[in-house]
Amino acid sequence: MSPVLELENVTRTYPAEPPVHALINVDLCVEAGEMVAVVGPSGSGKSTLLNIMGTLDRPTSGVVRIDGTDTAELSDRRLSGLRSARLGFVFQGFHLLETVSALDNVATGLLYQGLPGRVRRRRALHALEQVGLGDRPDAKPSKLSGGQRQRIAIARAIVAEPALILADEPTGNLDTTIGDAILTLLQDLNAGGATIIVITHDHDIAARLSREVRMRDGRIETDRAVLTTGPGSP
Amino acid sequence: MTTTTVAGTKWRSHLRPQDLVATGTLGLRSRPGRTILTAIGIAIGIASMVAVLGISSSSKADLLAELDDLGTNLLQIRPGQSVFGDNAELPVDAEALLSRVATVTDIAAVTNLDTTVQRNQYDDTPNGLSVLAADQNLADTLEISTSAGRFLDPHDPVLPTVVLGSVAAERLGISHLDSGPEVTIAGRQFQVVGIADPLPLNPDIDRSVIIGDRAAQQLLGVDPNPTSIYLRVLPEQLEQTRPLLARTANPGSPNEVEVSRPSDALEARAAVDKNLQNLLLALGGVALVVGGVGIANVMVISVLERRGEIGVRRAIGATRGHIRAQFVIEAATLAAMGGILGAALGAAITWAYANRQGWTIDIPLEGLAAGVAAALAIGAIAGLYPAAKAARLDPAEAVRPHN
Repeated sequence: MSPVLELENVTRTYPAEPPVHALINVDLCVEAGEMVAVVGPSGSGKSTLLNIMGTLDRPTSGVVRIDGTDTAELSDRRLSGLRSARLGFVFQGFHLLETVSALDNVATGLLYQGLPGRVRRRRALHALEQVGLGDRPDAKPSKLSGGQRQRIAIARAIVAEPALILADEPTGNLDTTIGDAILTLLQDLNAGGATIIVITHDHDIAARLSREVRMRDGRIETDRAVLTTGPGSP
Repeated sequence: MTTTTVAGTKWRSHLRPQDLVATGTLGLRSRPGRTILTAIGIAIGIASMVAVLGISSSSKADLLAELDDLGTNLLQIRPGQSVFGDNAELPVDAEALLSRVATVTDIAAVTNLDTTVQRNQYDDTPNGLSVLAADQNLADTLEISTSAGRFLDPHDPVLPTVVLGSVAAERLGISHLDSGPEVTIAGRQFQVVGIADPLPLNPDIDRSVIIGDRAAQQLLGVDPNPTSIYLRVLPEQLEQTRPLLARTANPGSPNEVEVSRPSDALEARAAVDKNLQNLLLALGGVALVVGGVGIANVMVISVLERRGEIGVRRAIGATRGHIRAQFVIEAATLAAMGGILGAALGAAITWAYANRQGWTIDIPLEGLAAGVAAALAIGAIAGLYPAAKAARLDPAEAVRPHN
């Protein structure tokens, strides 16, 4: 079975004077079932890496394979379809539809797969149960706390059962206790089989995950398995 | 839970049409206040266009109904000019000759006595009224009814009596016959026996007082040449009859005879309105374009505000086409709402105005449909630019927080 994500010699250069080399010759391979932390100071290229891994941006050179498929060959429609089916995103800013119920927000994660509404809502309810919000399907996001909003965003990311979940600073807008709970939730999902990459500048979070990729100046500085220690480890 | 659909479609992003519509109207449902205010912009344009079409169409329908009522088979014969440019006269026997035409059903000759009428012998203010000599046939031919008293009776003995046209009665200050009013014509007193109702086809009669022709001859001594002959023709024979009349009235010099149809003047009123209608329609069009610009404006703002949503939609599988379609549908729906609102408003204005005028209400359905269609088209066009902008957004940029 091929790895969930493979980056081969990926370079991303933004045209400017002088050109900005956001990523330089990055190689990364993530197997199914892994949970990886990507850490680094701001400007180290971790956001660019996230966008490339999520196919929201294309590399200047190099190969990005998701589930064994080379994304360079895909049209906008197929690439969008790939994101819809194989990738799940959790953003720092949540980005929920404020006027729509929690259930419908989660169901949006299946909207672009052409599934009927009742199938989307049934699977959305299941995803809400997985994140511990099975009792609040009708709540509007504006009535919920930050932690609950992030749980809805996570449910939206997992509803399509993607091969890979990309979480960008998932605890960035939350206080420590709530952030810990969100991280625990992600770890539980990982324990249930989901492959997750967490982008963070927080080394404490990184320390709780089994693998840490450290970025600096557009390159991978270190890529190693870390011993799971600390209070939140399973 | 399975992902078989994924394998089946080999990862092609697909949005069901009903979901596209729901997605395209989500933004409108989320901000009802803004939606209504923006739609009103379009509604004003559509309402004014529908009202202009409806009101002019109702007014025209009313005019045509009036014409139907008055009949378009009335012709008027007057002396024209001779080849030397002098005023010609109609022959004395013109009426008798014309009455022999088989398709003429009613005929009446009128002679202008070329004198003035006053309230009393001391008054000499010009009042623009004419004095005509005519007989009972005039009442039949022009279908004259009276608001007070009666028309001249052929069996009357020769008495100094007079019937007033509606405008003449007003100018002479006579509205009823209770006090037995009299008028002075050529120094003689005449008893008013009747006041005629207005004649929409014959405003010249409205501005006249009418004396029986025998009375005119005996009391005033009149030139026997008629100055105007009115005739009713079988409606279906009108076109064939009309060219024969000049030659019949004056076989010697037919080109000195003028034949006209009084209803033509009334019909011309409908045509004159056309210019005003076009002007008003153009104003409505301007309002519509302004409404369209308003939609484009609101859509541009909406796209800026919803960058995050757009980014997330791209991340969860929307293609650029889906984003574009979403915003075009949003703009078109907004405009269509305005169009329907405006069409209803325009119909209501037409109804109220026509009711006030006592007209037949005629709201052209094709006008309503065209109004809604125009709104939809303007909305779609107004949505194109913001939608293209939304579709071009870099999703990676759009999901970044706080921008």
